[in-house]
Formats: sequence, C-alpha cells, structure tokens
Amino acid sequence: MAEAISVKNINKEFPGVKANQDINLSVNQGEIRAIVGENGAGKTTLMNIMYGLYQPDSGSIFIKGKEVKLHSSRAAISNGIGMVHQHFKLVPSFTLGQNIVLGMEPQRMGFVDNKRINQSVKEISEKYGLPIKVNNLARDASVGEQQRAEILKALYRGADILILDEPTAVLTDMETEELFEMLRGLAKQGKTILFISHKLREVLAVSDTTTVMRLGKIVGTVQTSETDSCQLAEMMIGRDTVGGRMRQNGVHPGEVVLELKNICVRDERNLLAVKNVNLQLHGSEVLGVAGVDGNGQEELIEAVMGLRPLLSGEVIVHGKNITHTSTRKIRESGVAYIPSDRNKSGVAIDALIWENLIASDYYRPPISAWLSLRQKEILQIAKDLIQRFQIFTPSANLQTGHLSGGNIQRLIVGRELGSERAMAVVASQPTRGIDISGTESIRRTLLEYANRGAGVLLVSADLDEVLALSDRVVVLYEGELYDAGVVDDEVRKRVGNLMTGSKEGCINDK
Amino acid sequence: MINKKIAFPSMVHIRRIFGEVLTQFLNYLLILFLGLVIGAIVIFLSGKDPLTAYAALWKGAFGNWYKFADTLDRSTVLILCGLGAAVAFRTSVFNLGLEGQLYIGAMAAAIVGFAVPGLPKIIHIPLCLLAGIVAGGLWTLPVSYLRIRWNVPVMVPSLMLNYIGILFTQYLVSFPLRDPDAGMAGTPVLLDTARLPKFIQGSTINIGFIIAIVMVFLVYWFMFKTKIGYELRMVGYNPNFSASAGMPVKRSTILAMLISGGLVGFGGACIITGFFGRFLASFSVGYGWDGMMISLLAQNNPLGVLPASLFYAALANGAMTMQSQTGVPQTVVGMVKGAIMFFVTAQVFVTYFRGRMKKWKLTSTG
Repeated sequence: MAEAISVKNINKEFPGVKANQDINLSVNQGEIRAIVGENGAGKTTLMNIMYGLYQPDSGSIFIKGKEVKLHSSRAAISNGIGMVHQHFKLVPSFTLGQNIVLGMEPQRMGFVDNKRINQSVKEISEKYGLPIKVNNLARDASVGEQQRAEILKALYRGADILILDEPTAVLTDMETEELFEMLRGLAKQGKTILFISHKLREVLAVSDTTTVMRLGKIVGTVQTSETDSCQLAEMMIGRDTVGGRMRQNGVHPGEVVLELKNICVRDERNLLAVKNVNLQLHGSEVLGVAGVDGNGQEELIEAVMGLRPLLSGEVIVHGKNITHTSTRKIRESGVAYIPSDRNKSGVAIDALIWENLIASDYYRPPISAWLSLRQKEILQIAKDLIQRFQIFTPSANLQTGHLSGGNIQRLIVGRELGSERAMAVVASQPTRGIDISGTESIRRTLLEYANRGAGVLLVSADLDEVLALSDRVVVLYEGELYDAGVVDDEVRKRVGNLMTGSKEGCINDK
Repeated sequence: MINKKIAFPSMVHIRRIFGEVLTQFLNYLLILFLGLVIGAIVIFLSGKDPLTAYAALWKGAFGNWYKFADTLDRSTVLILCGLGAAVAFRTSVFNLGLEGQLYIGAMAAAIVGFAVPGLPKIIHIPLCLLAGIVAGGLWTLPVSYLRIRWNVPVMVPSLMLNYIGILFTQYLVSFPLRDPDAGMAGTPVLLDTARLPKFIQGSTINIGFIIAIVMVFLVYWFMFKTKIGYELRMVGYNPNFSASAGMPVKRSTILAMLISGGLVGFGGACIITGFFGRFLASFSVGYGWDGMMISLLAQNNPLGVLPASLFYAALANGAMTMQSQTGVPQTVVGMVKGAIMFFVTAQVFVTYFRGRMKKWKLTSTG
C-alpha cells in the first residue's frame, strides 16, 4: 500500500529534555496507527511536529513520498493533515456546523451563508458516517459530538491524514466504541489515522499497527494482530527490573499513619474519577502510587487534602478521622502536601521567597504574634530552610518567580518538611520537570524523611521514580486502585500490566 | 554541587532592589511627562496655549497655601477610596462597587450626623464615621454571598450594586429624608457636633485628611505586616496555592470586600462630615471610580495611594482654575488621566527598563 506520511531522523530538544531522538516513522494510506508510550515518552511532541506546531531541530517529513516543510499548522492543513487535540478547540457559542466551517465559511454577498453551511456539513457528515446535529450549540453538545465536530472540522479542510491526541481520554465506554467504529469507517475510505493512547485495550481493539515510544525514542513498531498487551506494556516501560534503586529493601513499616477507606471522588465533569479506593500508609514507609496521568491521581489527592469534596469514604490520620474537615485541620493533624503543579498550587510565583516559605505555618508562633508577623523570626526560619534545603538564592527577599523550577520545588519541600511535624507526606509528582540534581536532592529528602519514621505517599507518573523510591507499589487505573506488591524483581512487569489496563492477564483480542 | 551552597552576595541584591526602585521612578516620571504632552497637544490643537493652561492648573492646585490645603482636602476621599480598591485588588477581589459603597457610607454617616442629637463631639464624630464604615462594609455582603455560594465573579454584582446604592440614597434624599429648605435634594444639615473640625482658617481642610493619612499607614501595616493581611495577599496572588496551604480562601474574599467597602464608606463619611455638611444627591464626581484608578496607578500598594491621590486631587482642583482662567475645558484633564492610565496599565516602560537593566547588570557583573 502507498505510503501516506513518513518522518526521517526527527530530533527535537527542549531545555533539558530530548523529547524526540532520531525518530523514523512511516504510515501507509488507510492504516490506523496507534502511538503508545508513557507520559513524557515524546508522542505528543512528535504529533505536534507532524502537524506543524513545533519545528524539529533536524529531520524531514514526507507526505506521499514528497518532502514537505511544515512551518505552521496552516501548512500542515494544506498538505492534508488534520489534528484533533485532546482538549477541544470549539467556540462554545457557535453551532457545531459553524465551528466546522470556521474560517472558511461559505459566503453569500459577503455574509455567512448559514444554509449552505448546514448543507455542506451534512454532506461530509453523511459521507464519512460521523453523525452530528449541525444546529446544536457547541456548548450544549455531548463530548462525543464535540469530538466528531473536531474530526469533521479536519475533514472539511481536506485532511487525508488525521492525528488524534488521546481521543478516548474524555469519552465514556460507549462513546469510545462509537469512535472506533467511525475510525474504521474512515480508514476504509482511505483516510490515514494516527492516534495517541495509553490504553492498550483500546489500541489492540482498533489499530492495524502500533508504534511504541519510550524516553523520546521509538522502541519498535508491531502488527497489532501479532502482539498482546503484555508485550506492548513491556516495550513501553522497559525490561530492566528496577534501575537506579535508591531505597534499601526490607524496611520495617511502623504503625498506620494515613488510612483511606472506600474513597469515591467525582471530577469536574461530575464523573466518578476515584472508585472505592482503600489504602494504608505506614510510618517509615514509602508507598508508590503508579499510573498514567489522569487516572484519578489528582482527584484522589485533592480529596485527601480537603481541596475537593469526598463523595464517600473516610480519611484517617494517625487514628483520627479527618474526613470533611478543612485543609488546615488536615495539615495540623500531621499531613504535609507537595502538590503536583508547583506553579498552580505549590507557590505564589509573584510573592517573595519568605512569603512562600511560611505559607503553611504563618499563623502560629514563632512566626506570628497575636496579630502581626514577626519579621526577624521569619527571616531566621527562611534562611535556615534556604540553607538546609539548598534553595539557591541570594536572599529570601526575592520574588519566587526568579527561581528555577528545581529551586521552587526545593522551596516547597522545605516548607512542607522543614518543621518536621508531618507524620504523613503526600507528594505528587515531586520531581516533574526539574533538572537531574534537583530531582536527586528531592528524592533523597523524601527518603530521609521516611527513614525518620514518617510515611510517604509518592504519587508519580514516572514509573522509574516510583520503583526507585518505594517499598510497596499500588497502581491507579481508571480510578481504581490495584496492589502491585512490594518492590522486587518482578514488580515492573506487574505494574506495567496494571497501569496499561491488562490486569487480568494479557489481552490480545482484535 | 552540594558545596555550592548559598551565596549571600549583597551587592546583587542591593542592585536589584535599587534597580527596581529606579525603574519604577523613571517609569512614573516618563508616564507623567507623556500624559502631560498628550494633554498639551490637545490644548494646542484647540487653539490655546498649553503652557499658560498648565500654569493655571498648577496655580489652581498649589498656587498658595489655601489652594494647597484645599487640594489636600480634596484628596481625603480619594485616598480612602484608593485604599479600599487597593485592599480588594490585592486580594484579587475585583470590587467595582466603590461608588455605591461610597454613597451608602455617606448616607449612613449623614443620618447619624443629623438625627442623633445631644452627643458630645468626641462621641458623635466617631459614631458618624463608624456608621459610614459599617454601612459601606455591609453593603458588600450580597456580593460576597453570591461569590461564595454560587461562585459568581465579584465584578458583575458589585458593579450592579452601584446603581442600587446610588439610586437608593437618591430616593432617600429626595423623599423621606429631604430637607425642604435645601436648594437641591439634600438631607438636613448635620449637627455641629458631627462636623469634622477644620484646622486652617480659609480652607476646607479638616481632620479627615489627617485620618486618611493615618489610614494609609494603617492599611499598609495591615496588608504587609499582619498575618491576616498576609493571607489576603497570598489569596490574591494565587487562590489555588492558598487553599492547598490551608488558608481560608473564602473568608479572605469576604474580609477583603468588607474592608474595601468599609474604607470607601469611611471616605463617604469623611466627605459628608468634613466638606458638605449634609448628604447631597450625586455629591460624588466619580470618587469611587477614581479610587480604582488611583489604586491601579499605585500598583495596589497602600503607600502609593497617597501620592496618586494627591496627584488626582491636584488635577481636579487645578482643572477648575484652568477652565475659569484660560478657557481650556476641564475635560482635558480627563484625557491626561486616561493617557496616564493607559501607560501605567500597559507597563510599557517598565518592560523596557527591565530589559535595559538586565543588560546593564550582565555587562557590569559579568
């Protein structure tokens, strides 16, 4: 079959990360190609390069054998490439029809011709078997319908190659089934489809071939009919058992410091994001929570910290039931919290460094008198934390935004652990996006803290991190928690299978 | 890497702070200059001489001690409105209801001022001012309730409440509380015991101005040196972060609104008990709106509110003299203010100077 698109020797580097290294990829016309890989494997970067959103540092792109330069998404569109982003880009107050033709509306005497819009949208909608209600406002449409509108938007612009970035992440099971049906139909009509996914079950169900990426490189491409989920999982997360282990084995856990009982939490869309989670964190223990991003980690943690309502269940800290109390009460009962998004929830980037350093303790002595803050004591404490946690700054009086990501993260860790009151630490993605030395020092700090008797709940999408630090690993998959047991030579395989959704053995249905 | 601990190179630090102050100073100087140039161009185009007009403006604002004192008096209400805006904006609570809170506060002070007889000055005056503060503060509660209960952005309901507040006081002053002897819609004259004492013969200036100055430092202290002020500022910087650090985000919103409305109501009380001596319909010439502009000009810093208010007061008083002496309409001043606001909010020069600073730093430290 004819080649639709191929890339040769693509390299792309972001500050500190080689996002794509020597990528070679060739997709035939009418093929459904799945691109799988962990968070940060470089899938989205590659797709963005193919859609002209990023320029590769080196390498070339060929469409139907002819080399093209894609300087912008406009160039990609005119070369017949369309992309459906994970987060839809529709105008909420326009109808679906208007959204589809946006920017190239049929006109009559200088005015938008709504009749012809509806007509032409209906035509392509029927031609490709993607039913939508043309006159529905985008904001009223279901998620599935919005997605179909996005696909039609690309097709209306003449796309022969469709790139879908995690198309099923926002869909219900029913909608996913429908989507796959439509994708198969499109492929039959000669469209080429590339889609990114984490969910191997879906990849196996719909794709013809599967390309696995890991750490910015392509691990391999396999015929989907000849593989199963276990092989793909192994390709995705590597074969080496536990590399770079920092934690010594055989730590004796203490008593339970944090217990979650039957936790259920809803997400923003009011869907159940955390389903009946039970968990016990012991003192002196590092409990790793592995899983691909967006499987309920954020919702779970925020609910534990009192930042999101619990639908049901109980949170018990040190034998004390703190369900439905305030974040402050939860912290006072002995929980420290390192949020996943440091700029969003970890610091106020415009505030001064000392202001961020005292944010969880500002209201009590010695930092605060009855009414006023005690500048002298604060500066003393800030200097001490800066020194102990190696926050590289000339002064505590600088704006936090001047610090590098690693320094900000150390600031957060210093604030949370510096007073050494917390018995349980909830650390979410503690080293995401920071340099190697920063990562190293934060991991060490967490381990030391556990060695002194506290429990650390380490939530991370970086499997290597989880395996390097944890005593025991659990996996969140679609809101449910699965136990992967203590860290041993086989743990990687177990975790890999759990986090890609093949919990009951390997799947290879086609 | 481990040994490369922390350096405390004070030079870099000092230079940075010095650079920031210098940047801001140059920034405002240039903005002021450009605003005046734009005004001058407009005056010139209308066939008048800009220099004579500006000379008259200066004379009207600072020409002699009485004029100067009048300018200070005019700034009283502007300072309090500016502080009210600064507290709210610092907390990222966009209270656009200052004008309404001003009227409500003024009305409450006026009622206590004329309707409660037999009190000594020392009690009556604080009571009037307190009435203004409380009324202005409570007037924000519906907005806070909507914000907390249904997550309605503060901006819209606070803006809407302006009309309710202004028209409600207008109703009161036109019907139930109208003094038939007043030439226009106004309440009865305040009792003497409710009037703020004046201290310069021949000027309207009164102790309200002194109180306003004290409030500048009090609000600064509150926002920057107390733990509740710290809370408000952190919530203003980043509510998500404040929530995960365990701060009471909702309470901070309510509090910021209460304080903001209270300060503005205080301003209303001061202008009634200090200047007008009775509540008059439409007494405010946009003091509440000016308060927001002043706060923006001061970058929401209470200390900056003082010079910004004086500047606004000087423009307002000077403009009257300019109009009467040179025939240049007062509205030109509005243009100058508008141009200045534009340059301030666009932060054009700060960005430019920061770039220059960085280069300078690189070449001088490298």
